[in-house]
Amino acid sequence: MKPAAPLLVLLPALVLVPVLLLLPGLLHGGGWDLIGRFLLAALQPSLDPVVLQSLLQGLAITAGMALLGWACSLLIGVVLGLASSRLLWRTLIGHALPAELIRRLLAIPRSIHELIWGLLLLQVVGLQPAIAVVAIAIPYGALVARVVSDLLDALPERNLDALLSAGSPAPAALLTALGPPLMPGLISYGGYRLECALRSATLLGVFGLGGLGNELLLTLQSLEFNELWSGLWLLLAVMLALEALIGGLRRRWGMPSRFGLTRTGVGRRGREIVLALVLLIPLVAGVGKALAIDPAALLQWQPLPPVAPDGWAEALALPWLQLAFNTVLLTLLAAALAVGVAPLLLLLVAPWPWGQRLLQLVWAIGRLWPPPLTALLLLFVLKPGVITAALALGFHNLGILGRLLLEGAQAAGSERQQALQGAGAGPRLALLYGRFSGLARSYLAYGAYRADVILRETVVVGLVAGTGLGSQLNESLSSFAFDQLALLLAVYALLTLLGEDLSDRARHRLLQQ
Amino acid sequence: MFKLDQIGILRGRERSAAVLAGLSLALAPAALPPSLSPALAPLPAAQAQQTNKPVLRISAIPDQQPEKLNRLYGLVANELSKQLGVPVKYVPVTNYAAAVSAFRTGNLDLVWFGGLTGVQARLQKPGAKVIAQRDIDASFHSVFIANTKSGLRPVSSVQGLSQLKGKRFTFGSESSTSGRLMPQYFLGQAGVKPNQFSGGAPGFSGSHDATIALVQSGAYQAGAVNEQVWKANLRSGKADPSKVTVIWKTPGYPDYHWIAQPNLDKRFGKGFTNRIQTAILSWRTSNPEQKQILTLFGAQQFTGAQASDYNRIEQVGRQIGKIR
Repeated sequence: MKPAAPLLVLLPALVLVPVLLLLPGLLHGGGWDLIGRFLLAALQPSLDPVVLQSLLQGLAITAGMALLGWACSLLIGVVLGLASSRLLWRTLIGHALPAELIRRLLAIPRSIHELIWGLLLLQVVGLQPAIAVVAIAIPYGALVARVVSDLLDALPERNLDALLSAGSPAPAALLTALGPPLMPGLISYGGYRLECALRSATLLGVFGLGGLGNELLLTLQSLEFNELWSGLWLLLAVMLALEALIGGLRRRWGMPSRFGLTRTGVGRRGREIVLALVLLIPLVAGVGKALAIDPAALLQWQPLPPVAPDGWAEALALPWLQLAFNTVLLTLLAAALAVGVAPLLLLLVAPWPWGQRLLQLVWAIGRLWPPPLTALLLLFVLKPGVITAALALGFHNLGILGRLLLEGAQAAGSERQQALQGAGAGPRLALLYGRFSGLARSYLAYGAYRADVILRETVVVGLVAGTGLGSQLNESLSSFAFDQLALLLAVYALLTLLGEDLSDRARHRLLQQ
Repeated sequence: MFKLDQIGILRGRERSAAVLAGLSLALAPAALPPSLSPALAPLPAAQAQQTNKPVLRISAIPDQQPEKLNRLYGLVANELSKQLGVPVKYVPVTNYAAAVSAFRTGNLDLVWFGGLTGVQARLQKPGAKVIAQRDIDASFHSVFIANTKSGLRPVSSVQGLSQLKGKRFTFGSESSTSGRLMPQYFLGQAGVKPNQFSGGAPGFSGSHDATIALVQSGAYQAGAVNEQVWKANLRSGKADPSKVTVIWKTPGYPDYHWIAQPNLDKRFGKGFTNRIQTAILSWRTSNPEQKQILTLFGAQQFTGAQASDYNRIEQVGRQIGKIR
């Protein structure tokens, strides 16, 4: 028996049952007082000019790192995306073997979170501003490459065949036939990656790779909540402005929305797009100069400290099964929370016009707030463990999924919902049957993809003890146990590759039916 | 690369898009170099390598609130610069392990390390020199503190720490000597393993100030901190004795010390490492600027130190798995 489409959306929310049952046992309540002070401080952010100046400086560095990392990742992604397109190789040399090979290879950089790349680079090339940029560019580039090659290979080949059979050389035929239809999807996805890059840059800062993130962490650790909120509000303003800008451009240029039913087209206002891209070049160059990025310094590798003689045996003796199990459990909990709670909350607030606005604000904060900070706050009142970490990770991803669901629901049109409401259905039922049921499968498919992202992200809440590989990574890093780190990376990569495969299958099944 | 006239067969919108595709491909290599243009600036660590006159980059493990570190090491940089006649720059780092890594990769010249991080740094950078410690560092202490509502009582021997089993407990940084290593060692003597705390693991607050604030607020029932930072918090009124009290003070062990890169004589001139040592050892409370520095360090003066002073820390570090 299969659940009906409207109920399908709510299925992951069932995870709330065990979580809510276990939560009272986790509460220690020692720090309610602190949570209260934290919430109150939201209304009284510090306006001290010294604080603001240092926050703004941090924000500028974070934004700069995000922009550079993003720009590099697009370049890398487009080049590698073309190189891993089956269609391209088939047209050029007759078979697609190189594409398959490059595709497989790219799965490895993609499977490792930017934070780990950053920490590794720090060990190899030392403290320098380029680290965060490269850390973002590596996994993002591999991700963009995958999207580009998927987009390319999914394009209809009629135009290409026509040009080829008319005798035009293969490279020119490829560019002419595939370039224009590729752009809308690429630009739309590229814009979304910039939003992600801002979040990643903030997160890298939390771990000491420069920018605002570190100030957020330090103000939270020293319980200076008023200063913390000054930074958060600033970051929120920048993030919402960026999202509005990207969303605006996407609509203006007629690009498909990120989530929702794909609508292919060529897009409008080509000149504007070209102009925008051309303007990006001096901007990126200027930011690179301001941040003093030095590519040459990246090539000066330092030897890693020596590994202890019995280190490998010790590293192998770590409780790997337990670590992997906790990581997977954390992923599933966080993913189910994020995917399930977003539609549930929208349904709950459906009768009230202000409810949706409030949700949007909370989600924006969830998106912007690096999960380790949420985890630290939760530890004021909850015991450490997988659930506490899952709540932190779930909240962050809820912010991302909730926004996409809302955008998708708005794009889906209100006719059916209005019809249902006109027929006397309540606002919640009308929303559930009128809008969500049509979106259910594509939303869950996106959720499956997100679960895969969350698996990678589990490393960032490692500071909550007992969360599996992430916690062990923190400990191994502070012991400089590079043997353990190497094994940890291998296990992480293996898990994410498996996860990617599973989530791909789940997605295909959901979208086929 | 394709010539633009090949695209001329296209019309209007398609043409723009194709131009765009072509442009983005054509510009791909051109756009990369400027974004990674060779210029160094924001991280002073990196900047120093570029300028002609070498800059002495000093740093410290971030064991307290950054405002205080900025004030203290700003003063230290001024004083050292005056005495040594070279520009001195304070480079803040964000966590203990980052300080060790940055020392190993040569981004920092002279660092105020803790006992454990100092040993880690010297093992990773053979030839690094122990310069000096404070008068209080030869026999340094940690204190175990508890929230007054926790029901935890002061104890007179290490065995009394067994009452911490099942409590919410936080260390400072993972790599802190006084906030983790030695407290964990003494907890072990009392038979308390890290997984016996409430929640199955201790917290890691990040710094001593953070530990005090978290225990005082009740988020954790107990914690372990550096005695000198604890006293400073009591004096400044940040720690409220009606909410948080000491339950046990550890026996003494060697802790913080200055460590210098092995190559300073080569970069700054013969005998430079010795000059640093002489300068630091010369600081006295009779000089107003030096007095300010010593007060912030919580010491009367600095004294000489040797690598062998930290053998015991290395031993405990190996025992607990923080040194391998």
